[in-house]
Formats: sequence, structure tokens, C-alpha cells
Amino acid sequence: MSELTRAQIRDLMGEVMKAQGKTLPSDDGADLREIGFRSLDFSELALRVEDEIGDELNFDAPGLRQIAKVGDVLDFIEQLQSA
Amino acid sequence: MSEPTLVPPSKVVLVSGGSKGLGLAFVNDLIDAGVKVAAFARTVTPELTALAEKYPDQVHVGSVDVTDEKGAQAFVKEVEAKLGPIDGLVNNAAVGQDSLHVHTSAEQIANIIHTNLTAPLVLTRFVLRRMMAKGLKGRIVNVTSICAQRGYPGLVAYSATKGGMDSATRSMARELGGRVLVNSVAPGFFASDMSAVLGQTQLDQIVRRTPTGHLTEPEEVVPVVRMLLLENTNINGQVLVIDGAASI
Ligand SMILES: NC(=O)c1ccc[n+]([C@@H]2O[C@H](COP(=O)([O-])OP(=O)(O)OC[C@H]3O[C@@H](n4cnc5c(N)ncnc54)[C@H](OP(=O)(O)O)[C@@H]3O)[C@@H](O)[C@H]2O)c1
Repeated sequence: MSELTRAQIRDLMGEVMKAQGKTLPSDDGADLREIGFRSLDFSELALRVEDEIGDELNFDAPGLRQIAKVGDVLDFIEQLQSA
Repeated sequence: MSEPTLVPPSKVVLVSGGSKGLGLAFVNDLIDAGVKVAAFARTVTPELTALAEKYPDQVHVGSVDVTDEKGAQAFVKEVEAKLGPIDGLVNNAAVGQDSLHVHTSAEQIANIIHTNLTAPLVLTRFVLRRMMAKGLKGRIVNVTSICAQRGYPGLVAYSATKGGMDSATRSMARELGGRVLVNSVAPGFFASDMSAVLGQTQLDQIVRRTPTGHLTEPEEVVPVVRMLLLENTNINGQVLVIDGAASI
């Protein structure tokens, strides 16, 4: 199955947040702590992406610790897909 | 009733993963204590090579992957031929983990379990068979971790292996009937290649929660292992936690 585009990943991220009654801002520079997107939400997003592409995206935690903004999440998942 | 006979201090000690970090600290300390030491790791570091060159009659080193059963057994025989029968074993070699369980592949989990649990049990079995066949007494120290007793995110498979080794320690101590003393040392986090993945925030948090106010240093673990290998203490089947009471 093919990789998801950045926009598709963003849509899935929006769904993860919506399920918790939160809204994903359109600004890639938005701070994850401020919008309430935590590390387990990142896990959920990664697992949703895996479901879509039919492949596992396993990764270590240190990379995750660098993630601070919405754009970082999208970058990280894009990189994982193409790794 | 027959007189109980003490288990003598170890004379020839095999340290797995003795090339760097805590393992190398054990090797240095045991050399200083006058013990013959054999050490292996997948990569023999310049530090280990230098020790083998400096103490040719006291130290034997080799490049062995602990998961390679045949290779590890061949190394044990090499050590026996060069230094004499092994009567002390420190199961120190291990791989770390820093990944959430849901994002750790089945292969990675299998590798952690193989390296940290299956391989040391198999190596221990082999060393014990050699000891017992020669009528020797001996001592075993398993280097486990505070993770076996307390929960830490990102360390699920690793913790399972360390808990497994602590459990094996107790059962082995019973099974070996005092002929071989078997104990674990369970350090808290200390600085090494393995813990280098921890972020500064996590390290600061561990220090804040530690009554003694600092991370465990390898130099603080070394004397405990030396005691378990060389002193008469009647400590057997125990897990000695060395973490400044961070986990209490
Ligand atoms: N660092 C901590 O915070 C911490 C805390 C509690 C407990 N511990 C435990 O303390 C022990 C030592 O850890 P450390 O921090 O000193 O780790 P380290 O610096 O990463 O050293 C690990 C040693 O094990 C060897 N090793 C790893 N895989 C091996 C394999 N398949 N075959 C043979 N040797 C292997 C390594 O050499 P090669 O890679 O060349 O093989 C190295 O000599 C481990 O049992 C660890 O679980 C560590």
C-alpha cells in the first residue's frame, strides 16, 4: 500500500484530536503541549497511519522527545514512512 | 550433622559484556583484587585489549556474541585452558531499550529477550556444568536493574528480561543447595552508552526522586559485586538494589 501524503497524515491527526473533543489548529507551528497532543496521542496517530498503509512503523523513543510542534509530528511520520 | 563448608572466594571470574561501561569497571576492579578475569563482548575495545596485554597471565579477552551459544562455550573452554577453571560468573552483557512496547517490533523484542535472558541462562548452565563436573564451588552475579521492580515507560521487554533474571537468581540459589552462591545486583540508572538515550529531563527527574541526590555510579556497584564474588557473607538468592533509594 502507498505512503500517506502530509495532508492525509494531518487529517488523521485531526481525527485523533477530534475523538478527544479537541481541535487541530491549521498552523504547523502550533505547540503540542498547548493543544494537548501527548505522546500516547502520537502513538495512536502512528498506529492509525500503520492501519492505512498496511505496514508497521516501529521507532525508538528518543526521536519522539524532539517533537514539539504540529509540523514536527508530520515530519516525523513522513520520515518513518520513507525510512 | 556434617560441617557446612563455605563457598570460597572466586579465583577465575568470567564477565560477560566486559568491554565498556559497568562490565569494564568490574574487570578493572577484579584485576586489582588479584583475581584472574576473562571478559568478552561482541567488540573488544582498546581498553580491554590493553588490559589483556598488560596482564597476560591474569586476563583473557575475546570477541564473542553472547547469543552465539557455541561461540560462548568455546570461549569458556579457552578461558579454562588459559586461566584455570571458572568459579565466578558475572552475567553483565545486555542490550537496552528505549521504545514504547506498541512501537517495538516482534524481532526487537525477541532480540532483547535472547540477549538479556535466554543467553545468560544458557551461559550460566554451561559454566555450572563445568564447575559441577569438576566438583567446584562457585559464585554467580546477575546484573539486573531497578526496572525489574519498578515500572518505566519504554523499557517493557527489557524489564521483563531483568525480572526474569531476578527470578532465576532465587530459583538457582535454591537448586544449587549452597554449592554455588547466586545473587543479583540491581542498579538504578547510571551514565553509560546504554542509558545515553535518556533525555536530560528524565535524568533530572531521576536525580530529584533520589534521596542520595545523584545517579548511581559504576564505582558504587563495583564493590558490591566484588563482595558477592570474594567475601564470606552468606548472601544467597538475593537482589541487591543499588539506587540511592530512588525506588523506595
Ligand atoms: N546503564 C544503566 O542505567 C543501567 C541501569 C541498570 C542496570 N544496567 C545493567 O548493567 C549492565 C551493564 O550495562 P551498561 O550500562 O554498562 O551497558 P553498556 O555500556 O551498553 O555495555 C554493555 C556491555 O555488554 C556487551 N554486550 C551487549 N550485547 C552483547 C552481546 N550480544 N554479546 C556480548 N556482549 C554484549 C557490550 O559490548 P558489545 O556491544 O561490543 O557486544 C558491552 O560490553 C547491563 O546488564 C544493564 O542492563 C544498566
